[in-house]
Amino acid sequence: MPDRIDLSIEITRRRFLAGSALAGFAAFLSACGTQGTGATATAGAATLPPGTASTTAEPSVGVRATPSAELNWANWCCYLDVDTADDTKWKTLEDFQAANGTVVNYQEVIDENEGFVASISNQIKNSQDPGWDIIVVTDWMVARLVRLGWVEEFDLANMPNYVANVRDIYKSQQWDAGMNHHAPWQTGMTGIGYDPTVTGVLTSVKSLFTVDPRWKGKTEFLTEMRDAVGLAMLAAGTDPRTPTREGCDKAVELMQKAKSDGIVRDVKGNAYTEDLSSGDAVLCMAWSGDIVTLTDTPSVKFLFPDEGVMFWTDNCVIPKGAAHKGTAELMIDYCYVPEHAAQVEAGVAYITPVKGVQEIFAASADNKALATDPLRFPPAELEPKLVQFGILNEADEAYFNEQFAKVIGV
Amino acid sequence: MLRRRRSLIPYLLLAPGLLWLIVFFVWPLLQVFLASFWSGSVERGYTLSLSNWTNYPNAIEPVLPHVGRSVLYSLTATVLTLLIAYPLAYTIAVRGGRFKNLLLFLVVAPFFTSFLLRTLSWKIILSDNGVIFGPLKDIGILPDDFRVLATPMAVVAGITYNFLPFMTLPIYVALEKIDLRLVEAAQDLYAGPWQRGGTLVGGLVGGVLAAGLSFAFGWPPVIPVVLAILVGAFVGSVFVSEAFVRVTFPLSLPGVFAGSLLTFIPAVGDYVNAEFLGNPDSRMLGNVIQNRFLTQNDFPEASALSFILMAGILVMVLIYTRLLGTEQLTQSRI
Repeated sequence: MPDRIDLSIEITRRRFLAGSALAGFAAFLSACGTQGTGATATAGAATLPPGTASTTAEPSVGVRATPSAELNWANWCCYLDVDTADDTKWKTLEDFQAANGTVVNYQEVIDENEGFVASISNQIKNSQDPGWDIIVVTDWMVARLVRLGWVEEFDLANMPNYVANVRDIYKSQQWDAGMNHHAPWQTGMTGIGYDPTVTGVLTSVKSLFTVDPRWKGKTEFLTEMRDAVGLAMLAAGTDPRTPTREGCDKAVELMQKAKSDGIVRDVKGNAYTEDLSSGDAVLCMAWSGDIVTLTDTPSVKFLFPDEGVMFWTDNCVIPKGAAHKGTAELMIDYCYVPEHAAQVEAGVAYITPVKGVQEIFAASADNKALATDPLRFPPAELEPKLVQFGILNEADEAYFNEQFAKVIGV
Repeated sequence: MLRRRRSLIPYLLLAPGLLWLIVFFVWPLLQVFLASFWSGSVERGYTLSLSNWTNYPNAIEPVLPHVGRSVLYSLTATVLTLLIAYPLAYTIAVRGGRFKNLLLFLVVAPFFTSFLLRTLSWKIILSDNGVIFGPLKDIGILPDDFRVLATPMAVVAGITYNFLPFMTLPIYVALEKIDLRLVEAAQDLYAGPWQRGGTLVGGLVGGVLAAGLSFAFGWPPVIPVVLAILVGAFVGSVFVSEAFVRVTFPLSLPGVFAGSLLTFIPAVGDYVNAEFLGNPDSRMLGNVIQNRFLTQNDFPEASALSFILMAGILVMVLIYTRLLGTEQLTQSRI
């Protein structure tokens, strides 16, 4: 009797193991069989908006689009009128939601152009939803995206305010003559952010490359190639408007010397603002509008160097395959109404591409001073100092990136 | 009938795992390997050709300093984590008592936050005038231009902190399994404190720490190292018994071996710590690969570098495995 009981227990255990193995295998096969709904972006520091999988694209040709329930917008830091009491609220987005019912998922996840575009490039190349409906990238990146066919073409019938109010100086871009792949968002300047209480009053871009105990080891360069190499070219005496390989070599040599002299603390993206804020850095290549937002350290100022300031434009584009193209166009158009643009501009210390904003400020009671702010409306005498980095062909761009990689240290 | 069914079951149990490995590991690895033989660009397209084997020497030649740095920082971090994790795991395993689970939870708790956040929090802690260095500078112990952030020290500290649980847990598991009666028996046989085992261990640890600190801070090495050896030897002979050196440590070697692999291998390819806590002169191979892949879009070079990194780690791990030969070491003592 005991033997028979033992035998039955043994068979049951074996059968259990066999059964579970078969069940597990079957479950695995059935899970494999279901087709997933498109890959979602996980690279980089971008937080993924919910519900990005397979929503059908909205019809947006010819008629004014119906706003969708949600919109996903990726942007750089300090580019929208944030509520000073609660930095997860932006008045413009709340107003847009009140008018159209769309909840805008706005994330300040862009730290540099290359890294961000790389995080969505796989989805675009495989014709999948990249997860963002509006992204904001700099001119040269827009030129590249248009060339590669990675952005949607606007339906301009959806964007009457944009067509009417975009300033004329933006209409002469060779890489998008029809102005139907990009909408300028803000124009900014790259100069020097510094703390005059530590470094003394400075006037020249050459300070970045001069050994001085006040800022030795507390200087930072930008990882944005066109900004860093541009400023270094101005310091070396060459013209970034017509960039040549020799000019690039001289600029890189200047930056490498600054590193070996111990002047440079680090080379980084938008995160330099944290170091300026904490006092770890006192002299940085900086973007004009960022400095004003460093309210924790009011002694930090922006300098327009004598040799010139690099000037560039960040633009809204709709990546190819975006789920809510029509609503994206509505959002961009909303921001091109002069009153709404003035609302944004009151909180963003960059140059607006929308006509009529300066007049609105001059006429208003609260914001009269902004009408003459040199960061938002550079005076005419500043114009000769504004330098735009020239267009590079593919081979030159690769060369410049390769040389600049040495400065970053990779 | 029963025999044939028995022989099939292990394979059925393994099949999901194997399939997963093939689809998500072997196949992508093959793609990366093929990409390392490409030439071309993102816009013009790529062509595969065996003559592109030159991608390998071309990729590695300008970044040899980065390779050296990655290995150096990871080795330093591994040694440091061992020095910190071993006493920690020992205390929890042998003296933990009722609080074992709580202590283990505390070791693992930081892992509930994201890797990126933990590294960024170190930026705040190690800030030039932050909570640690601000007061020290005010008192005058440290010079005003002293900094840890944006130096290799911060990178090694970050790697050490991030991989500490990987070292602690395997050592804990190995120590937990030791029958403490063996230690008791050894101590009965005169393997107590004030023996040469403890002196040796203490002196060695002191010497290594002092050498590392001298190298990091640029002190002249002789005096600190000699002093540290003497002090370490004294402390070791009081607190470290011969039984530890002869019984406990050899029995815990499998845990040390596993922990050091789990720490060293990911640390060599790490790029987050070097990016946020380092400076342009302390970038590691991981940063180079990231730059080639994402900024320069140079997939062939990046793939070649990835494979060189993998092959290098494999070789080092094989040598380490041979050297340690854990079975011989643990069995010869007992």
